[in-house]
Amino acid sequence: MRIEEHPIVGFQRGKSLQFKFNGQPLNGYEGETIAAALHAAGIKVLSHSHEKHRPRGFYCAIGNCSSCLMVVNGEPNVRICVEMLQEGMEISTQIGKGDILR
Amino acid sequence: MIKTADVVIIGGGISGCAIAYNLLKKGVKDVVVIEKAYLASGATGRCGAGIRQQWGTEMNCRISKLSSDFFENANEELDYDGDIEFKQGGYLIVSSTEKEHEQFKKNVTLQNSLGIQSKLLNLDEAREIVPFLNTEGLISATFHQKDGHLNPFHTTQAFANAAKRLGAHIYTYTEVMDIIVEGGRIVGVKTNKGDISTNIVVNAAGGYSQLIGNMVGLELPVFSERHQILVTEPVEPVLGPMVMSFSLNLYCQQVPHGSIIMGRGDEGEPRDLRITSGWHFLEEMTKTITKVLPPLKDVRLLRQWAGLYNMTPDRQPIYGPVDEVEGFYLAIGYSGHGFMFGPATGLLMAESILGEETTLPIDMLHLNRFKKGELIFEPSVV
Repeated sequence: MRIEEHPIVGFQRGKSLQFKFNGQPLNGYEGETIAAALHAAGIKVLSHSHEKHRPRGFYCAIGNCSSCLMVVNGEPNVRICVEMLQEGMEISTQIGKGDILR
Repeated sequence: MIKTADVVIIGGGISGCAIAYNLLKKGVKDVVVIEKAYLASGATGRCGAGIRQQWGTEMNCRISKLSSDFFENANEELDYDGDIEFKQGGYLIVSSTEKEHEQFKKNVTLQNSLGIQSKLLNLDEAREIVPFLNTEGLISATFHQKDGHLNPFHTTQAFANAAKRLGAHIYTYTEVMDIIVEGGRIVGVKTNKGDISTNIVVNAAGGYSQLIGNMVGLELPVFSERHQILVTEPVEPVLGPMVMSFSLNLYCQQVPHGSIIMGRGDEGEPRDLRITSGWHFLEEMTKTITKVLPPLKDVRLLRQWAGLYNMTPDRQPIYGPVDEVEGFYLAIGYSGHGFMFGPATGLLMAESILGEETTLPIDMLHLNRFKKGELIFEPSVV
């Protein structure tokens, strides 16, 4: 879901971008973070807690909380709430704490 | 606070808590530990937390072997309800100069003669242990599987809890203000929370050992030096052993939780009691470590901190009584290795204080070795 009209804030959408999330093709806009694009696409579970593997959602949105760490173009532990979306990105849910040897 | 004690130990790090535990276990009644902040708040809790048996002097090899053997069973021996997290992933020590390579050969021969199963490796063999090791500029390595690391907070707490069960009086947030000497003999300790009469004081104050020595009129041949360290975000286990280099000046290990801890010394460090952190370390550390272990370039840093090495001229500890003041004992000057020596310190110091024959010949580590010029120089230190 996206807010199309707002009484105070205006939205200037950038051009449409294609990316993949867990292999699934999705669209977002230039100028938004990966997390914003996923949220707009209805993806609410971003990671899982290490011990009990409970789902974790969008939380701090400013790069502090580690709730949104994902693998982006092969790089683990990317904070998708502060990483801008780019054309053709391959984004996937991270299993565990991040494999730096990939 | 109790008024009279058999032994007052100054310093609530691994040394102080281990000495207290061993004294009580041997039947001493009133043992006091005085700590100016919280347990393990000094060098113990700030250290890289490794333990290696790969040393260049017989004494250091034997002290660390004694300690390592203890750590293997410490959870049970100390009846600890937590876990000291002892991981024996080994130490991979790499050489980058011919001189160092020659020293490694001597070290391994010495270590093997003392029952330490270390081995000299070529670079291919080193890469079997750490496949992503960048061997460019390296010559050889040594490896010993029983080396490893453990959690200094849990380990200190394990000793402290065991000591308390045996009746130890541990006073945290209590500072020693003065030590009273009468007629060349210890008679008491003044703290900011009250005074304690005692005939035996143990200086286990780590980086602050000189200040405690001064209280009884001694000028000790030690100085303190800041060493910095950092920790990264947790990642999946990739690093089995502690990777270390004396010539490249680094050590790096991954704790069970997944975080990677690394540190190095700085030659320009002034001799004082600062424990502040600096950007210079961050720059040097990250530059050095990503050359040796390139995949670490993608790992984010969480924080950095610093602690004090209490250095002696020969980089080996000072153990035992002093000739100048009766009842004053030293367990100081570990030169960066006090945590890993902790269990041995506890046992050897308790034996020394009680006049027993010591498990290792620690009279060689007496303060008077510096006066006599009988230094036993440790060549392998970061």
